[in-house]
Amino acid sequence: MSRLRLIALVLACAPVAQAEIAPEQIGTTTMATPTETWLMVRDAVGAAYVFDAASGDMHGLLSISRFTPALQPHPNKPELYAAESYYTRTVRGERTDVVTVYDLPTLSAKAEIEVPNKLAALPFRQYIALLDDERHLLVFNLTPAHSVSVVDIIDRRFVTEISTPGCALVMPTAGRGFLQICGDGRLQLIRLDASGQESKRARSQPFFRIEDDPVADRPVPAGDGWLLTSYAGQVFQASVDGEEVRVSGPWSMLTAADETGNWRPGGSQFLGYHAGLNLLFALMNDEGGYSHDSPGSEIWVFDAVAQRRIGRIALEQPAAYLHVSQNDAPLVAITGEDRQLHVYDALSLRHVRTIPEAGTAPGLLQGVLR
Amino acid sequence: MKLEDLFAWFDRTAQHASRSVAQQSARRSFIGRLGSVLVGASVLPLLPVARAASGTARQVSEIGDPQSCEYWRYCALGGTLCTCCGGSTTECPPGAEPSPISWVGTCHNPLDDKDYLISYNDCCGKAVCARCFCHNAERDLPVYNPAKANDILWCFGTESRAYHCTVAVVLGEAKA
Repeated sequence: MSRLRLIALVLACAPVAQAEIAPEQIGTTTMATPTETWLMVRDAVGAAYVFDAASGDMHGLLSISRFTPALQPHPNKPELYAAESYYTRTVRGERTDVVTVYDLPTLSAKAEIEVPNKLAALPFRQYIALLDDERHLLVFNLTPAHSVSVVDIIDRRFVTEISTPGCALVMPTAGRGFLQICGDGRLQLIRLDASGQESKRARSQPFFRIEDDPVADRPVPAGDGWLLTSYAGQVFQASVDGEEVRVSGPWSMLTAADETGNWRPGGSQFLGYHAGLNLLFALMNDEGGYSHDSPGSEIWVFDAVAQRRIGRIALEQPAAYLHVSQNDAPLVAITGEDRQLHVYDALSLRHVRTIPEAGTAPGLLQGVLR
Repeated sequence: MKLEDLFAWFDRTAQHASRSVAQQSARRSFIGRLGSVLVGASVLPLLPVARAASGTARQVSEIGDPQSCEYWRYCALGGTLCTCCGGSTTECPPGAEPSPISWVGTCHNPLDDKDYLISYNDCCGKAVCARCFCHNAERDLPVYNPAKANDILWCFGTESRAYHCTVAVVLGEAKA
């Protein structure tokens, strides 16, 4: 075939080929139903990236205020709640604090509730919590006086502000209650009535001395109670029995050799707990005293029932944030300054995958479901 | 805190607040409104500065690079250094507003071998200056004890909570 005839044939076929391809339509997808291995990676610039640690796939992104400390999932509704702070001119102008209700399938805001302009701004998981009545959401305030805003997420209204001098965080317990850690070395229990007003306040016996070995402000839920650790690696288990706040322990994360080696728990989110298996995971460093904010060079795994270490993982890159999924085959996800999400099998302690580019500055890690 | 935290929410600092603003009624009324023991604890250490400013107090002799996280004043600083952002150890960069309240650390001055109370004030109202990130946690306490906690966005009592950088102001000698 001559070149001319070939060109003519191609040209003649071109319209036919075009007609055989259906034109594509632009659209927007919705997010699939999350599972226990899905997690949100809090990015410092006002976003939360949604990944599945089991596949490495990204499923979407939530735009939130850059002051938002953490997100609170609903256990039975496809909704997330975020305490947010906005200025009309980004860094200046009028400030408005709100609790925003985010729709999970579309990762979009669908309602907002104004709250006092007092929310605590840094990324602490226990700066927001939903009580077990699934109606009252708590937002921790820091001005730097301590208080808690109560929000009704059913009627979508601000209910009240509860002053909690000297006590911080919100850790839900059964019976429409929550615990706080106090500077006097005790835990505080506050219960609300059905309308969201304070109905009961009590404190535990003192169990630590802030001058000697402070309990860190990064507790994790552990079954029907909470697990707390001190700067020096003492582990306490807190629970509520009736109106009594009970604290058991402590037991130490450190052997004598670990103490000599200057090992300490540390990082911005150094602790994770698998409630079904009673396994405690902690980022650890060997920098000694006051290294509670330093990233960990290893993950240590503890049997919380036997109260002893059962494994350790040496990390290639230091990590400051750790999260444990709650499924039967749990995954441990960590991140740090390398901006990547590293996923480990929590039972074999083997590295499973690395998810690159987990945000501009990845931080706090949370499950999408809890 | 790591760089990630910076970008968005971190805040710390402001000093000449403790020297000049300390005598202004606006600040006092703000603190009065707070009426908190904890806030009181964070503010009390500012008093030696007022005395120093009015008297014949000596200047602290220092050694080191104020743009380095290793600088002796920064032993409990968490944030970015204003000295790297157009400010100084005691002055916010242009246009940033010093937070009138702060957290307080105790740092050892290697030159005269004495301990000093250091006020870490955040400079606020501008985008974060993401230079010279520094996080030291010597004697840092959890957020239930805010006067000595550096994991707090300290832009309180300012027009905006937006964090820019942190200064480190010598309040006085820490005497046992």
